Amino acid sequence: MIRMILTRLVSSLLTLAILITIVFFMAHATPGGPAFSILGQKATPQAVEQLNQRLGLTAPLWRQYLMWFWHLAHGQLGYSYLLNRPVRQLVGDYMVNTLALYASAMLLSVILAIVIGLIQGTTWGRWPANLIRLLELCFYAMPTFFIGTIMILYFSVKWRVLPAGGISSVRISDPGLLDYVRHLVLPVVTVALLGTASLSYYFGASVHDELGKDYVRTALAKGLTFRAVLFRHVLRNALRPLVTMVGLAFPYIFTGSMMVETVFNYPGLGYLLWRSALSQDYPVISGVVLLIGFLTVLGNLFADIVNGLLDPRERYE
Amino acid sequence: MNDGSVLRLDNVSVALRRGRGQVVPLLDQICLAVNRGEMTALVGESGSGKTLTSLAVIRLLPRNARLSGQIWLGNIDLLRLPQRDMRKIRGRDIGMVFQNPLASLNPSVRVGAQIREAYRLHTGESDHAACARARELFGEVGIANAKERLGDYPHQFSGGMRQRAMIAMALACSPKLLIADEPTSGLDAILTRQILSLLTRLRREYRMGVLFITHDLSVVQKYADQVHVLYAGRSVEWGSSDAFFNAPRHPYSRALLGAVPRPGQIRLTAISGVLPDPEAMPIGCRFSPRCAYHQAECDCRYPKIDHKGTTSVACCRAADIVSAHRPAGMPSPQYFRSTNDGAVLLKIDRLGVDYRHPAGGVLAALAGRSKSLRILDGIDLTLRHGECLGIVGESGSGKSTLGRAILQMVPYHGSVAFEGMAFDRMTRSRRKMMRRRIQVVFQDPRESLNPRMRIGDIVAEPLALAGERECREQVRRLLDRVGLHARMLDEFPHAISGGQAQRIAIARALAAKPAVIVLDEPTSSLDVSTQAALLNLLKDLAQQDGLSYILISHDVAAISYMADTIAVLRSGRLIEVGATAGLLAAPGAEYTRHLLAASFLYEI
Repeated sequence: MIRMILTRLVSSLLTLAILITIVFFMAHATPGGPAFSILGQKATPQAVEQLNQRLGLTAPLWRQYLMWFWHLAHGQLGYSYLLNRPVRQLVGDYMVNTLALYASAMLLSVILAIVIGLIQGTTWGRWPANLIRLLELCFYAMPTFFIGTIMILYFSVKWRVLPAGGISSVRISDPGLLDYVRHLVLPVVTVALLGTASLSYYFGASVHDELGKDYVRTALAKGLTFRAVLFRHVLRNALRPLVTMVGLAFPYIFTGSMMVETVFNYPGLGYLLWRSALSQDYPVISGVVLLIGFLTVLGNLFADIVNGLLDPRERYE
Repeated sequence: MNDGSVLRLDNVSVALRRGRGQVVPLLDQICLAVNRGEMTALVGESGSGKTLTSLAVIRLLPRNARLSGQIWLGNIDLLRLPQRDMRKIRGRDIGMVFQNPLASLNPSVRVGAQIREAYRLHTGESDHAACARARELFGEVGIANAKERLGDYPHQFSGGMRQRAMIAMALACSPKLLIADEPTSGLDAILTRQILSLLTRLRREYRMGVLFITHDLSVVQKYADQVHVLYAGRSVEWGSSDAFFNAPRHPYSRALLGAVPRPGQIRLTAISGVLPDPEAMPIGCRFSPRCAYHQAECDCRYPKIDHKGTTSVACCRAADIVSAHRPAGMPSPQYFRSTNDGAVLLKIDRLGVDYRHPAGGVLAALAGRSKSLRILDGIDLTLRHGECLGIVGESGSGKSTLGRAILQMVPYHGSVAFEGMAFDRMTRSRRKMMRRRIQVVFQDPRESLNPRMRIGDIVAEPLALAGERECREQVRRLLDRVGLHARMLDEFPHAISGGQAQRIAIARALAAKPAVIVLDEPTSSLDVSTQAALLNLLKDLAQQDGLSYILISHDVAAISYMADTIAVLRSGRLIEVGATAGLLAAPGAEYTRHLLAASFLYEI
């Protein structure tokens, strides 16, 4: 097991190194360059030259590349000249919001998916499973902004029970925890509905698959009740695809987040990425992309380890 | 309730309900008994209803099945029990051992925990007591190092060990009845013998009845007390094993026994036709469409049951069928072809194959420390023109790898020379051409046909590769040669039976006009009657085309029927090579003797 974790860790680090390299070269391949976005489109060539010198952009590429790694290793992500703040600080604030939103949404959808999937898997081919499938399809097909808008319409505008969004400050401590949680409810439910729709179907299908396997027959032949077979034998094996799905869902969550964060006016990473992309704020874009990449790799590593715990065949021994 | 019967089935029928009120009968009025301390073998080909019978006994039939009749366990009628009480019977009074133990054990739960669960469920004992019982059981089924092995997962066990673990689990509560559903299918002869000896010893020790479900008649003769033959959901013949094997009386039983390969036999008796479709069963005797003794009245009359001595048979013509003499013992060597006449076609010189362990991944690769395992070593073999070379060995002996090395599908060292030239000395284009002349037929016929391709296209592919046009007519001819109808051309592989699929694989191999066909366990997944027809076909094709075969199998009987020369392989090394007759009559190596003894060659 430890060997498996070590191996996965090494390959995760390799993946990250590749990602960092790609981000570096992409930032360099962009037209215009940062000097223009800082000084404006009408800047004189001299001013651009001067600024490039100051930013270290005139050094040979390999040197810049090595510097890039060196800075990253020290946690320096660069400086946003547009917002006049270090990228690390900026990204850090937005990340807390994003993690609060998606961690709770993910947790909620996993719990819902397990409950719904168990019902779907055990009644496969009969009406409860068919009805669930229909609902899953509906929610899966609905765009996030549509669900989000409907939520706002009812919960915020008509019934006035929850805020439509707009956490005034990006810090947890400022508005008070309760207020922060109240602001989270609608975005979390919106993201969770979409997540549940796909996760529960996959989990339901995998419960159904597992129930058809020979070991289930063996367990029943031992004299176990169906419920005991389901929870002691089937659940654990059926969870594996779900765990992989959750691990794979990480990047989609961040890219999909722009929509939700825009609808709810929620200051998260997606919102930040969208805004920086519009203003060509490269240090911020690079920082956010790297962070998303890092979290994705982390998510997959986590899924691998959990799968190793669930299935002994996954651990090399 | 009489005497010592543990289990008695009285007129048990099973039907499946389909949509629109349609009912498909699957089992029809089965009467069967298992006595205390005895083994009753339930014999039949796939689709005959054997497994259904065992699932009916423990009442784990599919939801849409309708079960009627009486199933007596001692003096309880299991069909009258509510599910709650039935659960207490399962595992406590009836132990089950299933086919394919790897799939039948939960892959993510330790073997020890799965055994303890069975014990604690019914005894309510502490975990400590369950541990002790599990260790005791592992001792009884012959697994050494019980304490450590109990902590292992199923995938860490070998095939034979898994089945022993399965048996240990079934025995946890000392049941009165053990149902073993094809427990040895997929295991080689030596493992089969070990498992059956184990079951025989245990049933005497525990004084339990065993219902043994199998399609392997040679095993039945050696180990069973009673035999019960099923055909298309009906009992056709039943009674004491000795009497049955001395004088089988039902045409189906006789045909089945004739289909079992024996060394020196010139031809196997295949059963023509196929099993009737359960939705359109014949009205009278269900075997009548395929029966050699068929008369007009058989089509419309329910077969009369004829009791004679210790066996009973459901056949109206039983009295007319005179028990014919069957060949027994060793045949004279003249049945076998001399092997020294043909020119050398394939010469294998000091062939070896190493296997690099893929597990270990990036880290091991970086450290340059991946494990290498020698799975074949120092193999010298010669295949002559028109010869059938049989390669026999237990699972894991390296037989299939040898076949793949000959096909140039795995890297090897040493040399494989085809028509006098080693493959590694050929130019690339010549090598490509020569490889086409060695074709292959794999074990699992359906897995080895692309499910998205039509049969006609599958067979035509080698022709197209050889640059031939107008394949259609040739494909038709090839299908005809392997005994298939041309209307199959446009079907997809899922629509055909295992035997037919294997014929298509052979037609595909023939399409490349090969000199050699490597047959890798070609009949292992087929029923005995299908196997007989296929082996006969292979013999005919060899004679017509002057084909050579390399037949890889763990089935000594099939090998000895087909092969002119036999090579015995064990743990990647050649133990012995010799002409079939000589090797069977006087095996040189101790291991060969052991393998032959395990294969029950001379018994039927």
